[in-house]
Amino acid sequence: MDFLLSGFLKALDLLITLDSSTWSAVAASLKVSTISMLISLAAGLPLGFALGYFDFRARRFIRTCVDTLLSLPTVFIGLVVYAFITSRGPLGEFGLLFTLTGIAIGQVILALPIVVALTASTVENMDNRLRLTLMSLGAGKRDLVVTCLWEVRYGLLAAAVTAYGRVMTEVGISMMVGGNIKWHTRTITTAIALETGKGMFANGIALGLVLITIAFAVNISVSFLRQR
Amino acid sequence: MNQTGSLYRLDHVVHYYNDTKALNIDEMTIPAGSITGLTGPNGSGKSTLLKLLAFVSAPTSGNIYFKGRREYPFSSRSRSRVTLLTQEPYLLKRSVYDNIAYGLKIRKDTKQLDDRVRNALATVGLPYGEFAFRKWHQLSGGETQRAAMAARLILEPEVLLLDEPTASVDADSAKLIRDASLKAREFFGTTLVIASHDWHWLYEICDNLLYLFKGMVFSSGMENIISGPWEKQGEDLYARKIGGEGKLFVNTPPAEDSHALVRKKDLHINPHASGKERENFDNRLEGVITRMILEKAGMEIITSVMIGDLFFTLRLSGQEVRSLRLYPGAKVVICFQKDAVQWL
Repeated sequence: MDFLLSGFLKALDLLITLDSSTWSAVAASLKVSTISMLISLAAGLPLGFALGYFDFRARRFIRTCVDTLLSLPTVFIGLVVYAFITSRGPLGEFGLLFTLTGIAIGQVILALPIVVALTASTVENMDNRLRLTLMSLGAGKRDLVVTCLWEVRYGLLAAAVTAYGRVMTEVGISMMVGGNIKWHTRTITTAIALETGKGMFANGIALGLVLITIAFAVNISVSFLRQR
Repeated sequence: MNQTGSLYRLDHVVHYYNDTKALNIDEMTIPAGSITGLTGPNGSGKSTLLKLLAFVSAPTSGNIYFKGRREYPFSSRSRSRVTLLTQEPYLLKRSVYDNIAYGLKIRKDTKQLDDRVRNALATVGLPYGEFAFRKWHQLSGGETQRAAMAARLILEPEVLLLDEPTASVDADSAKLIRDASLKAREFFGTTLVIASHDWHWLYEICDNLLYLFKGMVFSSGMENIISGPWEKQGEDLYARKIGGEGKLFVNTPPAEDSHALVRKKDLHINPHASGKERENFDNRLEGVITRMILEKAGMEIITSVMIGDLFFTLRLSGQEVRSLRLYPGAKVVICFQKDAVQWL
């Protein structure tokens, strides 16, 4: 058990002394996950609203497809994105392989169904008196959408946090599409996998602590917003 | 297209929920500035009619004209003028102040907002300092209903549609809501359309009382609608038991469970009629007067008579009431011909 304790102590040392390779992985993770989340939320919230609010013919089928995408394995997404952006793939000319942009594309594919499905569920469970109230107070179509989304903001926040958790902790996409290149595409999770493989527990634990701290900070923020 | 003075005109309006017909109105008008009451049993179509009048949903077929123009949901003209308060209103997940100001904010009409919110709250008996910054979940049922009413009154609407506004609130809140609705009419000339089971209140304030039954509108206030089952008694003679030995006789109904309509004008009331006089009628039913209300519109007395498990409503003049010495608790005989029965 000593190696765990000494690993933990060394991990704290790495974080406190601002070890550059450790913090480079943290920065890469935060950057790529923030980009992928912004894109997923921008596209997923309106799509989820439409799927949950409007009644149209293919709705049930689309809902089933979205729900199926929730359980996509990250390595499979990594494989598909790799196939598209590799030099022989249809998007090969853009040189996205082994870049943070490539990882972000994969993470959007991972997060988007989560945001869409959870937003749709939240909107479906919205109080059906809300629409009537807003219309009777004179809301136009735009007011209706904006106010409805604001009314279910806690549900949407939960959707965003869930998606963020999945994006932050995935390994498959980052490893396959990013290539785990030190100083460039090495993220927290790929670094943990690599360092543990090399027997460098301290580095792995240090990055794990950062991951837990980020998760904790996100949930504290959500809790604070709820109280307001 | 617009009838003089009429704010609404409904033309062959039919509305379905899935395969169920909820409303079927050939023609109906609501005059501007009037108070129109809607009464009728649960499921008769009152709420559906109010939603259509509020333009929050469109009828399955037919047209609704507002101020002479055909209107639809989300029409900018109607949504700034018409507002609906439901029996169980929804408050937005924000403060009372923000709930009340919402309608004005989306209209971008925020001049002297604080004062207007203060006045709206005062109209429904909620002190600004105590209630304005409470959260939506910090109100009782009656306070929620009053805050929702204030959110409508602040809009100074041309039409205020109230769907059983006092059904699930305490007596004090009910009074405040009733008073506030009349103030809207007094201050802004608001046309009121009120659906309620409180026909005491409706008869007291309404210029026009409509009775709804199975989606159809009867324009003469409370009507007498009698449900089956009807049992065959003889050639073209059916009857319905009305408690004890009493029976109500009708001609052959379209079906065993058809609904019969007996209009108030076809009912005769007499506590003293001799046996011979009574024999001129097919139906002679003994009952007790349970309620008498002075109707505002015609200054006549709406009289309810309980006969077995049925209630009959009649409209009587003051002269008739005096000469027949009618009063609640008096025993009377209601007479009518079976040919007076209409089938719904």
